[in-house]
Amino acid sequence: MKRPLIVAILIAIAAVPAAAQNKGKRGFVWDDRPTIVFGEDVNIAVTGRALVEWRWFDPDIGEELFALRAARLGLKGDLTRHLDWEIEREIGVGDLEEEDDSRIEFGEWKDVFVRWRTFDAARVKAGRFKIPFGLEQNTGVSELDFAYRALGSRTIAPGRDTGVMVSGELGRFGYEAGVFDDDGDNAVSSEIQFVQEGQDLENVGPSFAVRVTGDLFRALPFTGRLRSANVGIAYTNSDVPEGLNSLRGESFWGTEDFFERVYVKGRRQRYGAQFDWSPGPTSLRAEWMQSREERNEQSNRNEDLSDFIANAWYVAGTWLVTGEDKDDDVNARRPLLKGGPGAIELAVRYERLGFESASTQGTPFTNPRADYLLPNSDSVVTFGVNWITSRWTRVIVNAIHEDFEDATRTPVPGTSSFWSGLVRLNIVF
Amino acid sequence: MRHLIRGGVLLVLFALGLSSPIFAQTSDDFFNPEVLQRVDIWLNETDWSKLKAAFQENTYYPADVTWNGTTVYNVGIRSRGLGSRSSTKPGLRVDFDRYNSGQQFLGLKSFVLDNLTQDKTGIKETATMRFYTRLGIPAPRETHTRLYINGRYSGLYGLVESVDKTMMGRVFGSIGDDVQNDGYLFEYNYVLGSPWRFTYEGSALPPYKARFDIKTNESHAESTIWGPIEELVRRVNETSSGGIEQAIADRLDLPAFVRYISAQNFVADFDGFTGYDGMNNFYMYRKEESSQHVLIAWDEDNAFLQADYPILMRIDENVLTNKLLSLGSYRTQYFNVMLESADSATGWLRQEMQRQFDMINAAMLEDTVKPYTNAEYAADRETLLAFPEARITYVRCEVAKQTGATRPSGCQ
Repeated sequence: MKRPLIVAILIAIAAVPAAAQNKGKRGFVWDDRPTIVFGEDVNIAVTGRALVEWRWFDPDIGEELFALRAARLGLKGDLTRHLDWEIEREIGVGDLEEEDDSRIEFGEWKDVFVRWRTFDAARVKAGRFKIPFGLEQNTGVSELDFAYRALGSRTIAPGRDTGVMVSGELGRFGYEAGVFDDDGDNAVSSEIQFVQEGQDLENVGPSFAVRVTGDLFRALPFTGRLRSANVGIAYTNSDVPEGLNSLRGESFWGTEDFFERVYVKGRRQRYGAQFDWSPGPTSLRAEWMQSREERNEQSNRNEDLSDFIANAWYVAGTWLVTGEDKDDDVNARRPLLKGGPGAIELAVRYERLGFESASTQGTPFTNPRADYLLPNSDSVVTFGVNWITSRWTRVIVNAIHEDFEDATRTPVPGTSSFWSGLVRLNIVF
Repeated sequence: MRHLIRGGVLLVLFALGLSSPIFAQTSDDFFNPEVLQRVDIWLNETDWSKLKAAFQENTYYPADVTWNGTTVYNVGIRSRGLGSRSSTKPGLRVDFDRYNSGQQFLGLKSFVLDNLTQDKTGIKETATMRFYTRLGIPAPRETHTRLYINGRYSGLYGLVESVDKTMMGRVFGSIGDDVQNDGYLFEYNYVLGSPWRFTYEGSALPPYKARFDIKTNESHAESTIWGPIEELVRRVNETSSGGIEQAIADRLDLPAFVRYISAQNFVADFDGFTGYDGMNNFYMYRKEESSQHVLIAWDEDNAFLQADYPILMRIDENVLTNKLLSLGSYRTQYFNVMLESADSATGWLRQEMQRQFDMINAAMLEDTVKPYTNAEYAADRETLLAFPEARITYVRCEVAKQTGATRPSGCQ
């Protein structure tokens, strides 16, 4: 199936419910999404999303792209009041201007899980889903305030993996704790393990993750409107196989590495902290995260090296100028298809992702086996306008400015700053 | 007491003044052809295994290098070579500035470890480069070294100066305070299955880009880098022999070029500018603020093929050499350089070969990773030692035959 056709179908599907607003209780129901309702707690719904964007780059990089950033189709449903499930898969991602054939191109599986939810204090989820680390990484693409997640959310936060997780609410606090097969899609090893004759492959994984969130400020006096803020901390622990398998620093568009992988062996730990506050039509989000990777026996002389460290943080603020409340599902007071302007939101985010070694003794090198690694970082500011035209569609305009610490390690060596931008159409149901 | 202090101070000053020039090491010491060096490379055992397993790739691995008590940390090494690549005895390139652009050692940014796998004598390259230097032909400094990897003896290697900006500065010197090394340096790239003998390949630059790898000023416009080469080749091909000097003298240092090809023929290298499969094994340098190119010698493992190697071997197959040597003045220069080479080699070349053999002999015999036996080494050594005398006689006789001069005694 041609990619533009996929987009057209998804647009049509998203447009229909706005006109139909079918509210049937049994059989075929089309409200947020096409759903077959078999009973009170038994149903199957079709989910889909298409992200179409036109990117323009700094002239130094010299690339423009009109692309289907993501297209996914899925099913989700309830089996009983105790169980729900979801499956979702990528389809037809690529350059919309490329010649393609008529086959449907399936990409990777996204969420594939079943959840037991009898008790609020302890829900159990099994399958493939996101590891509980990172506020933004665990926010669905349709709820993001910017077209792309912050660099740290894409790099340090692990993303999806296969595993089992228990989660729940205990008073003002929520928790998630899981064990996973590997260490997430964002940390996938780049290098096939090199083994000599007679050697066995090293066992990789499992990884462990835990996150605790809560309305901490409610317990404190004199916090006023800040009482609604949610804060959290997270931690992961996994093993990394020997090789060029560390995390790496990709530029905002992923065209170049501003920090290439280094040799690692041992334990990878992540630490995270998050802040989420949405008073009225505004929001303020912030995250800090750090990964530390061991480099046992990785020096030029097979000795241990100091830890490899990645640090990231961001602060993001939004304001719905049309006055809607900022929550997870912003509904325009006057949707476009009902003759209104939709909801309009202004957004700004400042972020940084940097890499370094724990050791700072002597002369720094870019050598992936150096004890003192020459640091580099990418600081990015993103200005955005979000036009939320309906419950299912939104247009995102982002202007992005990147500034690299080391001008020799950028998409265009010798130039440390770049402007770029995009216009994105999100269709999600 | 005051006398004692004064005396002590003077003694210290004298010692400092004396010791500095004695113990300061230079790149000349590193490439000292009179010394069999010892170079230690320290790298992660996994990387050494990977490098040998993927010896056809140019992947860099980090390492430390020790020479003469000094260690340079965090250098980059990779497998190198064309036909000489080996999984058991890899040829290596060592870049001091791979992971820190400012790092140098003895003023060098890099050097090459020639694995000597294509030369059973182990000295053809080093003897030829010393001979070229005697003749004033730009050539890298070279000697031999025992190479130790992580403390283990890993074979006898040639220690070769990289042809780079540093070497260009050494060879072409300075004009005032400006070191003459900001020109355009190219390594000739032998394209497998596409032998080239200076025929015109059209006005588009890609064919020239494929054959001439740019090593300096890489970010400049393609027309600036390869345009002058296309122009040189076009002029050579479009101009008749009679007008060739006028057409290309501003693009190629013709006397230096003739000197180079003549000397290369004298040493009977069959894989050089007029090689058996087209041009091969040289660098070309367009001097700073100049349009004129000069050739730099490189890779002479295939020298000393046979004493009766014809003195005009494949000259007529190459458009440039054919047209140029059809001119009387350059043909005369070509033969004169041959005779000069014969004179220079007389009494020196065999002695130099013998000296080098004496220097490397133990290291060669202990080298268990070389792809030939000690008996083969011994046999080729004797053959090579017989080359100079026979070649000198042959060249003098053949030049006399070509020029109509009186043939010296001993000619057949």
